[in-house]
Amino acid sequence: MTTTDPAPDAGAATQNTPTLAARAENALKVYGSGDTEVRALDGVTCGFETGRFTAIMGPSGSGKSTLMHCVAGLDTLTGGAVFIGDTDITTLRERDLTQLRRDRIGFVFQAFNLVPTLTAAENITLPMDLAGRKPDKEWMDNVVSTVGLGNRLNHRPSELSGGQQQRVAVARALAARPDIIFADEPTGNLDSRAGAEILDFMRQAVTDLGQTIVMVTHDPMAAAYANRALFLADGRIVDEMDDPTAERVLDRLKQFGE
Amino acid sequence: MLKATLRSIAGHRARLAMTGLAVVLGVALMSGTLVLTDTVGRTFNELFANAYAGTDAVVRSTDVVESQFGPEIRSPVAASVLGVVDGAPGVAIAEPSVTGFAQLVAPDGEAVGNPQGGAPSFGFNWSQFEQLNPFRLVDGAAPSTANDVVIDKGSATDADIAVGDTVTVLTASAPRQFTVSGIAAFGEVDSPGGATVSMFTLPVARELFGTPDTYSEIAVVATDGTSQQQLVDDLTAVIPAGTEAITGADRTAEDQSAIAEALGFFNTFLLAFAVVALVVGAFIIYNTFSIVLAQRTRELALLRAIGASRRQVLTSVLAEATVVGVLASMVGMVLGIATSIGLRALLGVAGFDIPSTSIVVSSTTVAIAIGTGTAITLVAAVFPALRASRIPPIAALRNVAAESTRTPVLRVVIGIVVLGAGVANIANGLSRGGDNALAAVAVGALLVFLGVAVLGPAFARPVSRAISWPLPRLFGITGTLARENASRNPRRTATTAAALMIGVALVGFIAIFASSATASIDEIIDESFSGDLIIDSGQFFVGGVSPDLAAGVAEVPGVAASTGVRFTDASIDGAASTVFAVDTAVLAEITDPKVVDGTVADLAIDEMAVAAEVAAANGIVVGDTVTAQFPTGERTLTVVGTYDNRALLGDRLVDLTTIEQGATEQFDLQVWVKVEPGADVAAVQEQLVAVAAPWPTAKVQDLTEFKEAQASQFNQLLTLVYALLGLAVIIALVGIANTLALSVFERTRELGLMRAVGMSRSQLRSVVRWESVIIAVFGTLLGLVIGIGFGWAMVQALSSQGLGVLRIPVGTLVGAVVVAALAGVVAALLPARRAARLDVLAAVSSE
Repeated sequence: MTTTDPAPDAGAATQNTPTLAARAENALKVYGSGDTEVRALDGVTCGFETGRFTAIMGPSGSGKSTLMHCVAGLDTLTGGAVFIGDTDITTLRERDLTQLRRDRIGFVFQAFNLVPTLTAAENITLPMDLAGRKPDKEWMDNVVSTVGLGNRLNHRPSELSGGQQQRVAVARALAARPDIIFADEPTGNLDSRAGAEILDFMRQAVTDLGQTIVMVTHDPMAAAYANRALFLADGRIVDEMDDPTAERVLDRLKQFGE
Repeated sequence: MLKATLRSIAGHRARLAMTGLAVVLGVALMSGTLVLTDTVGRTFNELFANAYAGTDAVVRSTDVVESQFGPEIRSPVAASVLGVVDGAPGVAIAEPSVTGFAQLVAPDGEAVGNPQGGAPSFGFNWSQFEQLNPFRLVDGAAPSTANDVVIDKGSATDADIAVGDTVTVLTASAPRQFTVSGIAAFGEVDSPGGATVSMFTLPVARELFGTPDTYSEIAVVATDGTSQQQLVDDLTAVIPAGTEAITGADRTAEDQSAIAEALGFFNTFLLAFAVVALVVGAFIIYNTFSIVLAQRTRELALLRAIGASRRQVLTSVLAEATVVGVLASMVGMVLGIATSIGLRALLGVAGFDIPSTSIVVSSTTVAIAIGTGTAITLVAAVFPALRASRIPPIAALRNVAAESTRTPVLRVVIGIVVLGAGVANIANGLSRGGDNALAAVAVGALLVFLGVAVLGPAFARPVSRAISWPLPRLFGITGTLARENASRNPRRTATTAAALMIGVALVGFIAIFASSATASIDEIIDESFSGDLIIDSGQFFVGGVSPDLAAGVAEVPGVAASTGVRFTDASIDGAASTVFAVDTAVLAEITDPKVVDGTVADLAIDEMAVAAEVAAANGIVVGDTVTAQFPTGERTLTVVGTYDNRALLGDRLVDLTTIEQGATEQFDLQVWVKVEPGADVAAVQEQLVAVAAPWPTAKVQDLTEFKEAQASQFNQLLTLVYALLGLAVIIALVGIANTLALSVFERTRELGLMRAVGMSRSQLRSVVRWESVIIAVFGTLLGLVIGIGFGWAMVQALSSQGLGVLRIPVGTLVGAVVVAALAGVVAALLPARRAARLDVLAAVSSE
């Protein structure tokens, strides 16, 4: 895995686990207090290995999105710690956290992934432009050709289909070569064919380019593209599965009583 | 539906406050003006009521000369009338009064009061009778000898003058020293309306004001049991032709209405700025409602889908506008009271002293201020409301359509028509002149603003892109984003910029007008004035310096030629005119009159020269005679020449010998001096300064100094105008802040996305800031283009009256753009902060 910027060293890790791109230690997230207290994350400890595609599964309200938001530095924990590489992000100040998201994390959201006033190409290079870095030409060509948008690169998002928009979003996440990419229901708004294309594309990024991806989804078909699936329920990790298939995932989910 | 409206208002208090602020400020200026003029009006009304409290009748001349600029000038009455009045039935007391210009000079040699400002300096005879004397002594004694003077308490306090001090009084006669015998208050106040007043014995006043055979007027007190009307009837029966008697009450009413008229101009002047502020406010309300309603499209469509009629949607929006308008106007009204105090201070700084008394808030003021504020808000909201009412129910199911960046052809056509009508109105007003010219120009200017605002969206995109061209190169992605944001809603950007355009156009116009006027004066002096020194009297509205100064100047060695420059109001063939006078025997040595026909040199008494254009306009040719009603009486003048040098010699010129017969008091406004060839101008100037020493207001200037002094006088006036226009600019900046805040709100998702993928707070702030700067600079450029157009038109229209040079103050205008850019940064502070504080998670995860 390549890091282009020296990582901010605030809060060095207690132990060296180079094979983990990110991990959570006893992550606790509590909303409200007293009678109305909700434990969205109730002591989650997990790691996301470098170069692997991990799916986070669970029924709605299980805390899977909260876990992703906290690990990705979009939300703060009530207790516990989150590491991106060796960096404890729970101790980072807002400014350093923003820089960390910009330089070391990639994002793919369910919708509204692109800045409407920028072209597809500008959206792809946005994090690097924000950092004031020049994109690596060869790598960019590689990413862009993989996205397969061709001459639509200079179009605005409103002129692209939903599938094309999501591919641009994945390309943006890949372009800066982050340590880890978080995808939040990336196929939630797409038809099954476009969705499959995106998932293929993400899987390819992991196998061919060695990218680390964590994807939150409730779709067993999507989870089947991952190397590993984590199952959350009531804010806890209740199970995990290597090389999941849609059928096995579906069976497991059924046990939650859905 | 009403409930929904009220909910909507309550739910968006911040938005309401921002929208309302635009109305608040405009209404505050408007009500502040009304409160100030009411207050000043009442002050003067009380002054005059006091002054004439014991006067039952006034006998005076029937001859009146209308003035082009100031109050009318009434001829004096013959001294013999006093005896007639005294002998009339019902007369208990008849006392003559003699009034004239009198500049008080303190023992330290400084002129007392504010000769350049509005408050006059005058003198008259101290009344012997308590009933007729509005003054009462607070210290010392009434004047009893030829050396005594009583001065008003206000001046005594200001200039630190005490009883027993020696002061100098400057009148049309030679400077004369007096001992202050007493200090008097004017009723309850220290000084009547801030004026400087000197009071003498009657014989001294008659000497000083040069009226040995006449009185200004005669005040009469009736015997007990005689009514004012009875007294007037009795007097009318006995007084000679050419005189009249009026009741004290009528005299009070006359003076009060004269002041009301003078205040009317002042009122109109200030209200013009309030109207500008309100028009700017209207743009902002229009824009805010447009944006907010566009953002609420789905909500409104939902209301329509569940059965609300178009009329109900329309009514609900207008109801919201009414609530905003009424609330904001009420706040503005209250602020207006504070504004009136601020305005008074502002006018004081600019040199217009206004007496201070308790503040008058009339119900008319309240009604006008709240009515206008509410009406403007409603009118501005009508178009957005109509648009909102046309939202189809189906829009509830669609994604909000992005605003088209294309401008409809109809809009362009309407814009061009309105703009054209505006230009036509201005051209018409400027070329026609006359009473309605100003109104035509004002309406024209308003139409030009509207037309440009309507056309705005058509060029907002290209122009704002051109302005922001360097941003992406200088600031990378934040520059690009700001640039794109500024051009993504051309209508929004254009309307926001249009609000700023108005204030900037007027500022630009005034700046161009002033610099052109200054340049024109310079040109006139450079090209047609061959004198070397100018003594400026330092008096402007009334008075001047005694002809003694010019006489002294002529004696100074090294002076080749000199003349006093005098003027008087006169009615020429029935039309109010100003007649200038110089020593025409030496005129040619000092300036070239540019004779067109006949002669302009060596005018004899009762000969007149007329500016060629004025002669042509009035159908006058050399050899004609005209009837001139001077303050001293009627004279027949023969036109012997016409000239082109109108800038320096005015419309009509006579010799000093004529004006000495025509004007009641002889004052030189300026003295023009030509130095002997080879003489040292600076040395002569030094000698002239010594000669002019008794007149502390007089300034001996060489031509460079004179030009600078003229320019600085302009600048003082300009400061006032800029300060008043500043409010319109501030309102426009509130508008920019408002638009940005609404845009930030609307773009929550994309801002959150950018924050998520690594945009720092400061980068986000900078995107908002640069968008603000682009809008501000766009508005400023629009304004400057229009302002230059207005300035050019003005110079074209006035070129024959001495405004011959169009000078565009490039430095000032470039400065305006820089200031606008900085103002844009300020306007962006709050919206940028709000954008930076946005909750990233909420923005990206909200459905």
